[in-house]
Amino acid sequence: MKGALIPAVLAILWEAGSRAGLLPQDSFSRPSAIAAAFVHGFADGTIPRDTWLTFEAALAGFAIAAVLGILAGVALGLSARLERVVGPSVDALRPIPSVALIPLALLVFGFGVRMEASVVAFACFWPVLLMTQSAVRGIEPRLLELARSLQLSFFATLRKVILPAAFDRIGVGLRLALGISLVVAVTVEIVLNPRGLGHAMIGAQQALRSDLMYAQLLWLGALGWMLNHAAKKVLP
Amino acid sequence: MIQVRGASVSFGERQVLGGISFDVPTGQFLCVVGPSGCGKSTLLRLLAGLIRPSIGEISVEGRTVDGPARERAIVFQDYTKALLPWRTVAGNVALSLEAGGTREPERSRRVAELLAKMGLGHAVRHFPSQLSGGMQQRVQIARALAQDPKLLLMDEPFGALDAITRQGLQDEVARLALDRRTTVVFITHDLEEAIYLGDQVIVLSEKGSIAERVQIDIPRPRTQLETREDARFLAYRHRLFGLLQH
Repeated sequence: MKGALIPAVLAILWEAGSRAGLLPQDSFSRPSAIAAAFVHGFADGTIPRDTWLTFEAALAGFAIAAVLGILAGVALGLSARLERVVGPSVDALRPIPSVALIPLALLVFGFGVRMEASVVAFACFWPVLLMTQSAVRGIEPRLLELARSLQLSFFATLRKVILPAAFDRIGVGLRLALGISLVVAVTVEIVLNPRGLGHAMIGAQQALRSDLMYAQLLWLGALGWMLNHAAKKVLP
Repeated sequence: MIQVRGASVSFGERQVLGGISFDVPTGQFLCVVGPSGCGKSTLLRLLAGLIRPSIGEISVEGRTVDGPARERAIVFQDYTKALLPWRTVAGNVALSLEAGGTREPERSRRVAELLAKMGLGHAVRHFPSQLSGGMQQRVQIARALAQDPKLLLMDEPFGALDAITRQGLQDEVARLALDRRTTVVFITHDLEEAIYLGDQVIVLSEKGSIAERVQIDIPRPRTQLETREDARFLAYRHRLFGLLQH
């Protein structure tokens, strides 16, 4: 409750300052107008629809990255030989800013969810890969010897030993990736993909609807917070 | 019968074991003792099939060892690292049966039976971290026995335990091996433990070769108090003690 104090005071000052004519109307919409735009956006279904479009791309990209990142991380974590071959390529690709891939993704997929999800997947892949790889490499060698001496199959070893042993740290990688997924999805929409909350914000800005733009911005903040909170509940 | 013929192991330039040969008849309790770094654990991993000899051959019951097998169970020294911390005591023992394809309800029945035998009946639902070192080592032994091994490989299993716990477990392992007619290879750095438990004691030198091999001619069952005061026990100790001095 004490955490709500600062936002509440700011909102009141903002509202008062705006009504007193101290803040420019076109860039600092009033909190009351923002609240109205928010309610209206929900009532006419545009905010829920855009939220779904953004989440669809973010979660699809995240899911692809999670599966591929865990598989590749396990392989690289287990095999030093593979790491020596693949490691340099990983180091070369990883620093590419994911948003720099937007033009390429557009060429390959055109506008739409697939292009957006592919950029999200690229961005989310690295933290999952690196955390999984280091988690698997850190597994107690005794446990792997035990698995071998029990003649567990590779998949049984993966399921019963490797993934449970690496679970905590893989979870950290997944949480990082989940946060990144929303950021990248909105970025792609703002830059050029005509769908979702990012695109809606650009629309509101260009229509000089700063009330709506603020409403969407605050809603995105709330979504990010909820996503992180949900991830903390589910993942370690 | 385990036959080791001229087994050498090198890691790069460094030779860890140099041309070792010995036999262990079925049902015998072999203790391998030596200074730290003499390749004792390497020898055990060799017998387990976890590593291959650079030169030489190892066979069990006439078949060449070329990889791990479920009939050869290992008990590791560092019990805190060898148990799955996210599984309960019962779950850890069950792993061994899952690996062998034993299904429920047979699996739970065997687990309960083994845990009762190892004095862990009260700790079934505990996690390893909630148990003392001695109890955790019992879990490892129960897990190894769940494999129904013909050969039990123990790598300094009691090295980290206090003296009283250690003596209790020594007697239990000796009794289990005798009852089940299991061949045991037991690595230790404690000469007295080796003589107390072994039918045969092999002393490894620092260079990783066999310094001495002795048949221990003390009848079983042995007891902590009397056996350790037995003239033969003391004579063996006297004879082997010098080999372990630097």
